Amino acid sequence: MSEQPGFIKSVVKKGVIGAVIGAVFFGAATALGFPPIFRYMFLAYATLGTAVFILLDAPALPTFGGIKAVAALLAFYLVLSVVYIGGASLWPQYDPNDEKGKIVKLLEAKRRASEQGKAEELLARTKALDEKASAIMQRLQTLGGPTVAAPAAGGAKAGGAAPASGDIVALGKEQWELQECYNCHKLEGKGGKKRGPELDNIGNLMKAEEMKEKILDPRSWMAEGFEKEYEKKKMPDKYKELMEDKDVDSLVAFLATLKNPAVNTPKPVKKK
Amino acid sequence: MKTWQRSLLMLFGLLAVFGTAAYAQVPNAPTVEFPYTGNRTAVWIVAQLHILFAAFILGAPIFVVISEWLGYRKQDPRYDRLAKEVIKVTVILYSMTALTGGLFIFVLLATYPQFTTWLINHFFLIFAVIYPLLFIGETIVLYLYFYTWDAWKGDRKARHIALGVLLNIIGTVTLFVIDGPTAFMNTPAKAEGASIVEFIQTATLWDKVFNYSWLPLNLHRLVGNVTFGGFITGLIAAYMYMGAKDDSERAYYDWMGFVGNLIGVGALLFLPFMGYLLAYELCDYDASICPYMMADQLSMFFEMQGAMIGLIFLASNYYIWLSMKRIEGVERVRISVLAVLVMIALPFVMTYIWTIYPVPDPKSLAVLLPLVLLPVVFGRFIPFTVSSRAAIKVSFLMVIVGNAIWMTPHGFVATGAKLVEELELPGDWSFLALMPAKNSAAITLVFVTVVSYIIYNRAIKQGTIVWGKIDFASQFVLIFLAFSAIWTMGLMGAVRSLLRKYYHTYNLVPDFTAESFTPTLAYSAWWITGITLVFYIIVSFAIILTLRVSESKAHAHEGSPAPAGAK
Repeated sequence: MSEQPGFIKSVVKKGVIGAVIGAVFFGAATALGFPPIFRYMFLAYATLGTAVFILLDAPALPTFGGIKAVAALLAFYLVLSVVYIGGASLWPQYDPNDEKGKIVKLLEAKRRASEQGKAEELLARTKALDEKASAIMQRLQTLGGPTVAAPAAGGAKAGGAAPASGDIVALGKEQWELQECYNCHKLEGKGGKKRGPELDNIGNLMKAEEMKEKILDPRSWMAEGFEKEYEKKKMPDKYKELMEDKDVDSLVAFLATLKNPAVNTPKPVKKK
Repeated sequence: MKTWQRSLLMLFGLLAVFGTAAYAQVPNAPTVEFPYTGNRTAVWIVAQLHILFAAFILGAPIFVVISEWLGYRKQDPRYDRLAKEVIKVTVILYSMTALTGGLFIFVLLATYPQFTTWLINHFFLIFAVIYPLLFIGETIVLYLYFYTWDAWKGDRKARHIALGVLLNIIGTVTLFVIDGPTAFMNTPAKAEGASIVEFIQTATLWDKVFNYSWLPLNLHRLVGNVTFGGFITGLIAAYMYMGAKDDSERAYYDWMGFVGNLIGVGALLFLPFMGYLLAYELCDYDASICPYMMADQLSMFFEMQGAMIGLIFLASNYYIWLSMKRIEGVERVRISVLAVLVMIALPFVMTYIWTIYPVPDPKSLAVLLPLVLLPVVFGRFIPFTVSSRAAIKVSFLMVIVGNAIWMTPHGFVATGAKLVEELELPGDWSFLALMPAKNSAAITLVFVTVVSYIIYNRAIKQGTIVWGKIDFASQFVLIFLAFSAIWTMGLMGAVRSLLRKYYHTYNLVPDFTAESFTPTLAYSAWWITGITLVFYIIVSFAIILTLRVSESKAHAHEGSPAPAGAK
């Protein structure tokens, strides 16, 4: 019990020191141009440090047992559960809806080729035929004669609506997003982490068939200055299996439009 | 639990393994839909529970046999008692491992029959022959090891220890064997220039097992299991300390908690490097996995991991702090000022050095090794020393600094696609989010914890430790460490599975179900917490059943415990 006043003093003293350090961190982060969220992060670290140093001088907890220990344990588990779930919920959350549409598009070809996809296609066709037959029957009943019904507008196409095929460049841009090329290659100043070259001017440096060759066989070409990445095989050798030929063609068509000489896209070197 | 009950459970587990292998041959088996959780989460829950039990039953025997050997060599009965008490709990949890393993395969077959059939067919020899045989072998040796404990004493003790070693060999081989299909799902075997689909058709079983992530996964799980086993031993000790009826019991369980924590933390020090190796191999397999982990969908999972690692290291050091408070003569213990200076300099110096010579460049060690060895080599020649209390306070400070570096993200967004300037680290400071800084943070956490333990060890040797008189808060620290270690295992297990993205087997077998997206961290945290609590309830029940209830047949007290070297 005699430890209590000393501990309170320690809490006050360390609290003040912690507040000063937190304020210094916050001020320094502001002066150095850190966005507000990082300033609060530094403040949080100062608070954590203060809490830890206060805890170091906390008076000893007396031993207890029986029901009191069981109750303390249950309360402790409850606190831990709340803190961990709450803590995880405080971080920015990835929205699965951003991914769901992409996954459907990415797996569309594989699904069509799979047994499950074939069965689904068959079911869709059967359903469409059923609907058409019902419509014809209905019309016949209304007209009272054997007139053949006109096909329903837009006629349900087996396997769902095909993607608009008019704008191959737009489809190629979609492939850029779907295959997450931006994770390694910078474009218009966005994305990339130095794993691969910026591609803003690739259209002036490579022909369409050369780009296709590089995508399907990453060992065939190397970007100048990316020797280390080439040696480490940073570009995955998987697109020949993951992408359909038409998808590669559309991606190449999109890349061929990238002709910005202001950006220093490294020179491609033929390797194979 | 009686032997026949345990045997029944084991039989159930084995039947599940054989039965599912047979069921897997049924063509076009219909799928079921789990209400509320959905199929993916149902598999997640059962698989994670199974892995937690399996981790304990594989990790605990490693230090059980070491503890038994120490007891034999030092003729100190406390080590033997510790080993026996942990193996008692292990035997109960072994049944739970078999039970959840069987359940896991049933749920997997009911929810993803086509994929499960495909996987079993590719690893048929493992699933139908090797794994069951190893499981049977391990069961026999485990029970033999447990039931011969009292009979094989004295001259026959060495034989008993050899049996324990055999148990561990079988356990480790079992782990490595089942890691084959697990690692294969993440990094299926491939060959240069060949289509992955075609290669798999002609690949041998060994080609499939010996894939990119198999060895690092083996190492990561092996070290993780020992860590986990150590912390669960700490949990057992904490429960028993709380329920102890007298001072001698409290003294023993205080010592047991100390040993469990020592093993847990000792193995924990290697875990960040094993995790790094696994991540390195995954990125080497397919570079697109890296951004998915660190910069995109799973980046915030790694933030949470950073928070958990920081808390675990803080708690480990806090346990040392509390433990040192009850050592008489601790004020005399001092340490070279060089150790303290290295602790402070380490994160900053190594971030700079590793930016120039990134790991694994051999030059990356050229500064690290001399720096960490500096206090050991030159410490005795420098007359300046600091008190143990001050040094450990610096340790706490550097754990916070190291963790702050570890957790500083490139941007406060869950996907790089949504990164805007207001959420991004300023350009001049972006090095804080790169691997050199993260590696230096990890080495700082490890180094300061090692220094804390060196100080602690000196305090034990130079002072007099009063077992059973530790601050009661330390028992909650032990419980916290076990809970947090389990939670982190759950989190990283989810990450490893999610790395397959929308594939059952990465780039090979797509997951066409509507659940193949990346879940939110918050959603994952709910399930991880739920799984941790269920595991805790079962483990708590096993501890109470095996140790507290059977305490009425109490053994004689094994003297006043004191560690080797203590005065």
